[in-house]
Amino acid sequence: MKPSKQDVFDIVKKNTLQVLIDVDPDAVTIDTSLTDLGANSIDRVEVVMYSMESLGINIPRTELHGVRNIRELVDLLHSHCA
Amino acid sequence: MSKPDTPDPAHAVAITGTGVVCSIANNVAELGTALQRGESGICQYDDPDSPSVTLAATLRDFSWSDTLEPFLVGWPEMARRARKVLNNNTPSTRLSACSAVQAYRQANLGDGSRAIDDTGLIVAGSNVDQAFIAQNCQRFRDAGHWINPKYAIAYNDSNQLGSLSEILALRGPGCTLGAASASGNAAIYNAVQWIRSGLIRRCLVVGACTRFSALELEAFALLGAASSSGRHTDPTKVCRPFDMDHDGFVWGEASASLVLESADSAMERRAARLGGVVGCSLLLDGHHLPDPSVEGELRAMRRALQAAKVSPQQIGYVNAHGTSSPLGDRTECEALKTLFGHQPATPPINSTKSLVGHCMSAAGVLEVISTLIQMNNGFVHPNLNLERPVEPALHFAGAQSAALDADYALSNGFGFGGINSTLVIRKGGKP
Repeated sequence: MKPSKQDVFDIVKKNTLQVLIDVDPDAVTIDTSLTDLGANSIDRVEVVMYSMESLGINIPRTELHGVRNIRELVDLLHSHCA
Repeated sequence: MSKPDTPDPAHAVAITGTGVVCSIANNVAELGTALQRGESGICQYDDPDSPSVTLAATLRDFSWSDTLEPFLVGWPEMARRARKVLNNNTPSTRLSACSAVQAYRQANLGDGSRAIDDTGLIVAGSNVDQAFIAQNCQRFRDAGHWINPKYAIAYNDSNQLGSLSEILALRGPGCTLGAASASGNAAIYNAVQWIRSGLIRRCLVVGACTRFSALELEAFALLGAASSSGRHTDPTKVCRPFDMDHDGFVWGEASASLVLESADSAMERRAARLGGVVGCSLLLDGHHLPDPSVEGELRAMRRALQAAKVSPQQIGYVNAHGTSSPLGDRTECEALKTLFGHQPATPPINSTKSLVGHCMSAAGVLEVISTLIQMNNGFVHPNLNLERPVEPALHFAGAQSAALDADYALSNGFGFGGINSTLVIRKGGKP
């Protein structure tokens, strides 16, 4: 069954908190960006990679370049879910 | 004219910090107790991919964060950095942090809030986390994507340098240094040269935990280097350095760290001296094979003694390389017999590997700590399973701890590829 956008957000949030261990869980909202939460470039790749793995999908790197915040990331991940 | 390795024994390089995690101890105090009791850390090892190797001295029920926590009390900044750096880091790097923070704390180098520019960092070992690499290769083969995003950084041993320098705020010179089983000794040797040359005042030497994958274990078994005969059913009986029944090394997991410091710096800081390195050697045999050489090992021991201006008669204890491999043990015995041959009684000899296995990259550093504990507390730990010595002319430690009165010790480390290194260690408390 295709996950809902809320399911995808929950997965992104869980992985964000695993990578950015000092971040307050309440600060991870759909309208923030990983950079605003203090993520560096490797942290961002980690969050995206672990989220793709959790969802069983693989998105080409070129498609990920334009993503600016968590909402856009969730939308992109969701669009690749079967 | 050749320049001695440590020209002036009066200005020996001091040891002011120690740290360890291994199969029988999570800190130096626990190691002291375990050595005195003669505890073995060797137990069953079950990996279906390496069926030839069924025993190892691995860390069991181990939590790196629990081990680290008591040594970070009162240092919130460093604790925060450690949590962040070690999150998703390699297991070997986490173990290095556990021993390094202990040594840093004991040496009283600071609280991590300010960068330290005059202290170097050497991580002993090469190809230290093969298990991490193998695991990631498997994942890549299975999935083809979802690569660990940190793999490009973490597969390289140098990841340990950056990780430790960030946690401890060390900003002096640093490198990793590999010399097979002699890596720990080689790193200490290099740190001594850096300090003696005036380049730095202190150096943290971290013996990294060698984590083998199934491939390395099977490859060592194939050469007959790792114990794989299944001759003994009790795991604690398998590692038997210098015993007629020895049949190869037993791999051990450990990380061990030392803070080395110039005599002047230790004096200025009024740092407690746990001991010192008064002489050292690091020499090659001129071949690349696992063929130990009596002449090469003897040359290493004599060069270190010459550098220390200490005679064989002054040596009160020997921490042997003693891996429990038949050829290695016999070769070291021959070399020791030649070195001490004319003395009425040779100093007591043991191998810490009989308790903790062969800790590879960390072995040399761990064995210096074992040497200091024994000299400073006046005991020599048992040489486990030594029932029929391969060389009756040498004075091996027995099955129980015994009293020791030694001012100077030798600590040997010999690596595959003809790498021979000896350290002359002085007991603590002396200037």
